[in-house]
Amino acid sequence: MEILKTEGITKDFPGVRALDHVDFELQKGEIHGIVGENGAGKSTFVKILSGVYPPTEGKIFIDGKSVSFSSPKDAHGLIGVVHQERELVPTFTGAQNLFLGQEVSKLGFVQQKQIYRLGKEFVKRFDLPVELDVPVRELSSGKQELITILKVLFRKPPVLIFDEPTASLSVKEAEALFRLIRSLKTEGVSVIYISHNLQEVLSLCDRITVFRNGKKVATNDASSLTQATLIRHMIAKDLEHQYPKRFIPVGSEVFRVENYTCMDFHLTHISFHIKGGEIVGFAGLVGSGRTELAKAIFTGHPYDEGALFLKGKPIKIGSVRNAIKNGIVMIPENRREEGIIGTFSVEENLTLPNMREVSVYGFKQQRKIEELVSRIIQAFSIRLVSPKQRITKLSGGNQQKVSLGKWLEKDAVLWIFDEPTQGIDVETKSEIYTIMGDLASKGAGIWFISSDLRELTAISDRIYVMCASTIVDEFQRPFDMEKILRAMHGKEASEGIHAF
Amino acid sequence: MHFKENLGLLTRYGTILALILLFLSFSLFIPGFVDPENLMNILRQIALLLIIAEGFTMVLIVGELDLSFANVASLASVMVAGLIIRNVPYGWSILLTLLVGAGFGLLNGFFITRIGISSLITTLSTGIIASGLVYLYTKGVSFYGNMPEGFLYLGRGTILGIPFLVLIMLLVLVAAHILVTKTVVGIYMQATGGNPLAAYLSGVPIAFYKLLGMVICGVSAAFTGILLTARLGAANPEGAAGFLMEGFAIVLLGQTVFTLGKSTPIGTFVGALIIGILNNGLTLLGAQYYVQDIVKGIIMILSVVIASLYSKREGKG
Repeated sequence: MEILKTEGITKDFPGVRALDHVDFELQKGEIHGIVGENGAGKSTFVKILSGVYPPTEGKIFIDGKSVSFSSPKDAHGLIGVVHQERELVPTFTGAQNLFLGQEVSKLGFVQQKQIYRLGKEFVKRFDLPVELDVPVRELSSGKQELITILKVLFRKPPVLIFDEPTASLSVKEAEALFRLIRSLKTEGVSVIYISHNLQEVLSLCDRITVFRNGKKVATNDASSLTQATLIRHMIAKDLEHQYPKRFIPVGSEVFRVENYTCMDFHLTHISFHIKGGEIVGFAGLVGSGRTELAKAIFTGHPYDEGALFLKGKPIKIGSVRNAIKNGIVMIPENRREEGIIGTFSVEENLTLPNMREVSVYGFKQQRKIEELVSRIIQAFSIRLVSPKQRITKLSGGNQQKVSLGKWLEKDAVLWIFDEPTQGIDVETKSEIYTIMGDLASKGAGIWFISSDLRELTAISDRIYVMCASTIVDEFQRPFDMEKILRAMHGKEASEGIHAF
Repeated sequence: MHFKENLGLLTRYGTILALILLFLSFSLFIPGFVDPENLMNILRQIALLLIIAEGFTMVLIVGELDLSFANVASLASVMVAGLIIRNVPYGWSILLTLLVGAGFGLLNGFFITRIGISSLITTLSTGIIASGLVYLYTKGVSFYGNMPEGFLYLGRGTILGIPFLVLIMLLVLVAAHILVTKTVVGIYMQATGGNPLAAYLSGVPIAFYKLLGMVICGVSAAFTGILLTARLGAANPEGAAGFLMEGFAIVLLGQTVFTLGKSTPIGTFVGALIIGILNNGLTLLGAQYYVQDIVKGIIMILSVVIASLYSKREGKG
């Protein structure tokens, strides 16, 4: 019998269809894995199930009854979600956090002893390695997560969703979590389990559904799947034409990093180089250090060891300003938080790094600004009503073009793109690949970080793989996606693949 | 739906509309309100408040807070009076006092940008220090004494019938407006307040611009204190204390003028006009000062309520 069912769930964001008619079934007492690459629609699906977003189209059934959630609160008793973010009061103990909102009290006085007793029983039942009597801020992030999970369990929802639960857990904690999930299954709780770690999903789940590009690709029994077949499902083969790739004769070296170690960002012994006209991909799982590396270098963060060379000459970066002055620019990963200024107009955003060029004695020259802005808008075909409009009124793809367009006239020799196509529509994606190709053809080196392996292998000339904050491998064209994936997952996963 | 659309309109032009309505109704119902002398009187009354609030506006533009400016103004007021009474040439007295104001701004900026303490806590502390220095210096008594004509002219003189204070106020307003909207510095300040991380990654040295905002505020507070002494011909330890609440009131009102939640020099001016007209009109009506306080409190709350309603709407839209 199915406890949860969706019919034709579709979600449109401005300019992007994040989910496209997803039909999904969760059986009672089943552990159901969902896998897919970043941007495949997994998180959007969870957010719709848990009432964070309403679907644009489609229906959700629980126990055969159609339900609609207008807020996460509506979904609370039915569907419990363990997010990557923890919702704990850091100064409260584990037990106090567990009972927050449902305090055991007598005449308005919280019954502390009772709370600890109930909490301990609960922890014992699931055999979890967690202390309940210390403030949670003193616990490791893994233990904090286990408490978050207990808190969700406490509401006894019939459906539980785990979204990347093991990302911050130690091996021991992860094992405890798997035991917990299996024992929940025997109690008839149904679980949706989302993870990048295919190994985990395969060993834990009964059935596995693959998402790709907002669509459900397949649902299969886990016993009939291997890591290789899953990866094949996750990667579409028929989309090559979406990736306009120009092959440009590679020039001389633009940027080289030797034995770079920066303990503040946990980066150790990293060496790589980027040549003019070359698009160099950086693959790796979230948290593998790709973004940290780019940021540490671009912001000129003090480092412990190593040397940087720009066009063959040693360079000390020291500050963002100096990076830009030397022709290094970055389009950061989180557009909203780092790439654009939401209170500014498109024009103001585009001029920000170019203020010196469009001003005389410190005063803005409106005519110069308008010329600059219209050149950028044309070059990148940014679609807008007027340059004076608030940037937040543009679609995600056009906001991203502003985020990279502001660097157009800086004559940069090294462009760092961190997840430039995340959350934007397919059409703009391919425009951005074209822009990257154009920049490369003018001799710039492109440092391209992406979690979307398809685009990474389609657009890059060479790929470095990062894992555990260092570069673990380098690949040349033609790329073998499975090998890259294995390198991304590190030693553990590659051993796992041999076992299959 | 209609309500929400109207709310958008209301918030965009509502504050200016309120100013016009206030002005018209006071003109109709309060005898003597529209007399040119009275109108000039209003401008003279808001002059000091606006000068100090424009400094505070800069702090808000760079995304910080300042709770010390009124105490710094009090300190400047007694300091300049003390120096002048001790026969220090008034030019030097003014300069030294402005430097102390700048020093407080630097101190605030240092703790905020270098040590990373929140501006709220930093400026609360430095404000208390400033207040302590006032009492250390004055022993709690007001300073009277002979002050040179040239100095008193700053606060009392007129040019072609226009009070010198009003001219200074307009000059400060225009300078602030140009700085914020027309110069590179102003754009960098706005970017720093709008999204510090994005500004930083675009090459804006945000720590410098935060510091600059704090320093401008310190200097404008000191300047206000000096003008206060010049107007009164004396200085008392609590002389500028009222500027804190009034300053907050007008910048909050100012944040509802053009773009909600965004401080602008002109917006602050509109806020100051509303408060000035209210104070003046209520006084002419014979209302007690505490009635004025109650009315101002209500206006502050209302402006913040409108802003938060609007920001929720923005968040959903």
